[in-house]
Order: sequence, then structure tokens, then C-alpha cells
Amino acid sequence: FAHSQVKCHFFLKYQVCFILARKFTDKHEWISVENGIGTVGISNFAQEALGDVVYCGLPEIGTKLTKQEEFGALESVKAASELYSPLTGEVTDINTALADNPGLVNKSCYEDGWLIKMTVDNPSELDELMSEDAYEKFIKSIED
Amino acid sequence: MVIPSSLKNCFQLFYALKIPAAGFKCIASSGLILQSVSNDVYQNLAVEDWIHDNMNLENRQVLFLWRNSPTVVIGRHQNPWQECNLKMMRKNNIKLARRRSGGGTVYHDLGNINLTFFTSKKKYERMENLKLVVRALKALQPQLAVCATERYDLLLNGKFKISGTAAKLGRTAAYHHCTVLCSADRFLLSSVLKSPYKGIKSNATPSMPALVKNLSEEDPTLTCEKIMDAVAAEYAICHQTDHPIVLINPSDETVFPGINNKTKELQTWDWIYGKTPKFSISTCFNIVYNQSLLEVKVDIHVKHGRIELCNIDLPEQWLPPTMCNELEKNLIGSKFCPSETTALASTLLRTCPQNYELLTKWSLLCENVLTLM
Repeated sequence: FAHSQVKCHFFLKYQVCFILARKFTDKHEWISVENGIGTVGISNFAQEALGDVVYCGLPEIGTKLTKQEEFGALESVKAASELYSPLTGEVTDINTALADNPGLVNKSCYEDGWLIKMTVDNPSELDELMSEDAYEKFIKSIED
Repeated sequence: MVIPSSLKNCFQLFYALKIPAAGFKCIASSGLILQSVSNDVYQNLAVEDWIHDNMNLENRQVLFLWRNSPTVVIGRHQNPWQECNLKMMRKNNIKLARRRSGGGTVYHDLGNINLTFFTSKKKYERMENLKLVVRALKALQPQLAVCATERYDLLLNGKFKISGTAAKLGRTAAYHHCTVLCSADRFLLSSVLKSPYKGIKSNATPSMPALVKNLSEEDPTLTCEKIMDAVAAEYAICHQTDHPIVLINPSDETVFPGINNKTKELQTWDWIYGKTPKFSISTCFNIVYNQSLLEVKVDIHVKHGRIELCNIDLPEQWLPPTMCNELEKNLIGSKFCPSETTALASTLLRTCPQNYELLTKWSLLCENVLTLM
């Protein structure tokens, strides 16, 4: 009994870590997938570049998106920056807290400042995105 | 002064736009300066969309100069009811347009110049563009005390705003546009940018009101033509181009394939009003009937420009609740706009009991609801 519990615990831990790893696009969005649903936000590099976000224009629940399709815009210091979907799927939830508190995107871009949740229609598209390490290298390359 | 459009100019632009940057070195490395022959805001905004969506800006920068007939232009995430006096605009034939860029509301007329700086996202640098405009103004009149602020406004004499900025960042391209106030109708400007609507609750981005002044009031010799030419000359120096200003016609499909569809989209009610972030109005109005005053409370929620929820609080003895409910019920789902509400009210009027007193009260109620729009 004890043996199987350890095994199970190890398996869960492994799976959770594996599944929740964030993947990044070259347009600075991230996505992490859990139970077939991806949570999408913008990277720390992007929120720093934007400055204080004052409005989040997000899609309606049920909107069908294709990979790289425009799905909304963030406004900061008079500039509207388009958002691009990292994957193909359908919007299942939007972060309603951002309506009253768009600054969450700056304060907590990987946690409370998430933007939308979406289904993952073609899981293979995830493989085309960058790992956290690859994204860090990508940022270095564009900063140089 | 710009020389009127010539075939040569159009031909040159045609090639500048069509031929991939790599194959056309002299144009690829230099800046391109365009000026619109149209004063229609929707056509000019469509040019911006077209360049943003279709031109390869990796190795090329574009400056676009344009002016509009009287128009109020709101930012992408703004609420027009909160920003301007729509009733006054309708009366004076002043258009309303929504940009794709962020920022606040501006009044345009032929005395307010628009400059759009297109670059790749990498080369997007608003402060550099504003410095260029300041240099151009100083070249015209060295005594002008103009400087850029942290919020990317240009101030004259440290306090009067003469220029406001907005920007849009796309996948690979970006643009920054700004106004330069030369000789606009300041009375109309300040009156149309005052909202008469009360009780609006919204998360839309609000504008920051500012003291403004026309450059021509500071120096009567300054004109829009002179300022545009000075900005173009400064831009040409910065981007090593000896190309003259190219005049463009924003409805020319041979130069801008697909542009007329973009213009039409910018004119739709669904874009101008429908893109307003969800909001609510909680207010009251007074109805005077038979020398007695009645206070009516209304609560209306609007999403995508359409009425989502509507409560009109009326004493039962004044108007039968069925009539009031009928109005509320019919308003839900309809556009928050006076023409649609007027049409709806007159249709409902025909189904009302043909009683003079009720009809008068009903009309008064509808009239007052209309004043909210």
C-alpha cells in the first residue's frame, strides 16, 4: 500500500510539473495547459515593455481562435498592443478581474494577470512554441 | 505648398508600394512621405490600416500627413457618450470616428494636422518622432517654446497642449500618430469634447482634458500647409530621402487594393459605437406634465452598444405598468441610439391605447429616454 502511494505521488508530481510548464510565442504570449485547457497571458518582458496597462480588450467566451489570430488588445500609455492567440481553440473563460484592475497584468503577469483560458484543439501546436529557456534566449537575441 | 497630384507621383507610389523592399534599393532604404488628398476621416484611417496591414516596414519608414473635415475621433477603448456631446455633433454635422490606436479623444478639423509615423515594431520610438516635429516647428519659427512631455504631448509655453499622441503595435509593424493644432475652431473643440451625459459607469479609458492653443494664435504667419511641409522636410533630412511628398487618393483601389472595405468597416455602427466597453447609466430626469413635476429614475446597461438591461422607475398611477414594461422590454437588445429608439417608440405608439393623456405621457417619457443617447 505504502509503495503504491509513493509511486502515485511521484507520478502526479511529475505530471503536474510537466503539464504546467509555460510555453511562449515570439509575440510574447505564454500558455500553460492543464486538463486540456490552456491559460494565456503575456510575458514579463512584454509587460515591462508595455508599461502600465490601463485597459484589457478581451474576446467573448465562445470565440473560436486560430493560432496567431488577433484576439484583443492591451492599452498602455496611449498605445494599443494587439494580442495574438498562441494556439487554435475556443475561448472558455476570460479574466474578469482585469475589468476593474487591468494593472494585474503588470503586477502578476504569470498568475493573477492571466488573460483568457482556451481549449487546445491541436495539441501538436504546443510543440511549435518555445520553452521558458528558449524564450529567454530569444529575448536576449532581440535585445542585442 | 504641395504641388497638386501628378501622374508621376501616383506612378512612383505604385512602385514604392508594390515592389518588395529588397528589390528596390533606393526606395527601400529611404523614408516615404505620403499626403492624403481626402479630408474624410474614415478614408484616412483606412490608409493607416492598409499601410499597417500590407506594407513591409522592415526596411522602410513612412510618414503620412492628413487632415479631416470636422470630426471627433475617440480612442480604441473609449466610450463616446462619456467623451463628447453626441447631440451637438449630430446637430452640427460633426462626424464621430473610432481609431484602432489607444489614447484619448480629439477634435479634428482642417486646422488640426495629423502625422502618422509608420515603422517596424522594433524601430517604433514615439519620443524621436515628437522631437522631429519640434525641430520642424522651430525651423519655421525659432522663438516657439514647444516641448514634449512624459505623456507624449507637445506643450506650448509650458502649459498649452498643441499635440496629442496615440499608437498601435501590431505583429511586426507599428504606428504612432499625433495631432498638431494650428488653426482649429477652438470654440467647437471645447464644446463638443464636453459630455452632457450624467451617471455613466464604465471601465473605458478616459481622456485627460487639457488647455489647448492654436499655433496660429501664437504666430499668425503659421499655417497648416507650412507646418506640414516643414515636418516633411525634417523627416526627409532624418531619413535621407530626396523624394517629394507623394499625394495619395485613399479611395484608389489600384494603389491600395481592398482599401474601400477597410473604409466601410470604420464607418459601421458596430465599430464606432458597438466597440464601446460595457457600461451602465444610472440617472434620473424630470418630466413636467399638467403643471406637476415627476422624477423618473432609469438604469440602463449597455454591452456592445446594445441595451442589455433597462429599468424605468415610474409611479404606477402615472402610466400603466404594462406600457412602461412594454417600452423596457422592447429596448432590450436594441441599439443604444436615438434613431433606433425613435423608430421603436413610434412602432409601439401604434399599439398603445388611443387615449390622449396616455399618449402624451408616453411621448414625454420616450423623449426623455432619447436625451440619454
